[in-house]
Amino acid sequence: MVICAVHVPESADAAVDCLAGGGWIMGGGTVVMPLVNSGAAPVTELVSLRRAGLDGVQVRDGVATIGAAATFTAVGEQPELAFLRPALRTIASPTIRNQATVGGNLFVAQPYGDLAVCLLALDATCEIAGPDGRRAAPVADVLASGVAAGEVVVAVRVVLPQPGTWYYHKAMRRRLNSAAIVTVASVTSADGGMVDSTRIALGGVASRPVRAVSAERLLRGRPLTHEVLTEAGEAARGDIDPFDDAYASAWYRARVLPVHLRRAFLP
Amino acid sequence: MPSQIVSLIVNGEQREFIAAPGATLLASLRESLGLTAAKRGCAQGACGTCTVLVDGRPEASCLVAVETVAGRSIRTLEGVAAGGELDEVQSAFVDCFATQCGFCTAGMIMVAEALLDANPEPSEEDVIEAISGNVCRCTGYRPIVIAVLEAARRRREQVVSR
Repeated sequence: MVICAVHVPESADAAVDCLAGGGWIMGGGTVVMPLVNSGAAPVTELVSLRRAGLDGVQVRDGVATIGAAATFTAVGEQPELAFLRPALRTIASPTIRNQATVGGNLFVAQPYGDLAVCLLALDATCEIAGPDGRRAAPVADVLASGVAAGEVVVAVRVVLPQPGTWYYHKAMRRRLNSAAIVTVASVTSADGGMVDSTRIALGGVASRPVRAVSAERLLRGRPLTHEVLTEAGEAARGDIDPFDDAYASAWYRARVLPVHLRRAFLP
Repeated sequence: MPSQIVSLIVNGEQREFIAAPGATLLASLRESLGLTAAKRGCAQGACGTCTVLVDGRPEASCLVAVETVAGRSIRTLEGVAAGGELDEVQSAFVDCFATQCGFCTAGMIMVAEALLDANPEPSEEDVIEAISGNVCRCTGYRPIVIAVLEAARRRREQVVSR
């Protein structure tokens, strides 16, 4: 469809008001604009978050509050979020990272959305604005079922992981700027060499980022050894529903999942 | 919503033009302002030939609805050669044979400008990452990487000799 209006609201509340007229929320435009350019966008109105004051990244008392319109570059520049830099470097190019936003990444189709995989592993919370006010929801819920019509994710809250508990690995066809074959992100802590808590999120292996709950169950109370991680990776095949695309077949993704899950912890 | 007047600072000059809803920054530069260095390649953000600097940072101008950057500072390849003289990146591209068909060159040079502004002493790895969103379908990546490193060297030398 032909775009008839691009709204550029200057606050979150104004964005919600604009959205009441229908249309799509647009963060950095890296997913919406390709559809607009090819005439495939099924909407006539866009609501850009570029000027809505939602691009800040603040850290206080061990909690990061990341505005939905914060770019990947802005996230990487925040010193307290330095643990995410290796992950950010695996996503698109520096140019696209100047545009792509944290909020937008929650709504992209797999095999994109590696930052959403990280946010799922971090058990992030989404702040959502809507016609009836504000609410908070686990990022897992937003990834699973989106938000209601008329609602806008305005921020994502992340409890910073303890040092040494963050793990990330992405298998792709090139070292830079390529979509996921398998992405693994995890917050895992060990006590006396044994895993006492773990959250593992996977990308590239289902229609949306998923938790590897079977692998998590297997890891608890056990050490992060080659054997245990391979066993956990094989168990994680029960948590995925992979797809074929130009990057890899569903068969291949399932085949290599245990290797990459292990490499997230033992490179 | 009708077309509207959009104002941008383009290569240091305030420019105003009429933009239809949803017009991209790329289309505005090329069709409204006659600045045709940035090219339309894939129109999907995958090829990088439309790259311009928005407030000093490279962005794919085909993915920017122009209304959303009203008032911001845009730098294109046309604004690089001060007083008609090629800058270090441009002259290194010439000297290192880093252009073949030339379609990717405008985007390559703009990401190189941003890279060298932020990091005057980039490693080869840094250059490769910076241009990782720019496709050269002549596959002349090697000379491009060498040219950017050479431009960095020339720029550092100039700073020293000043």
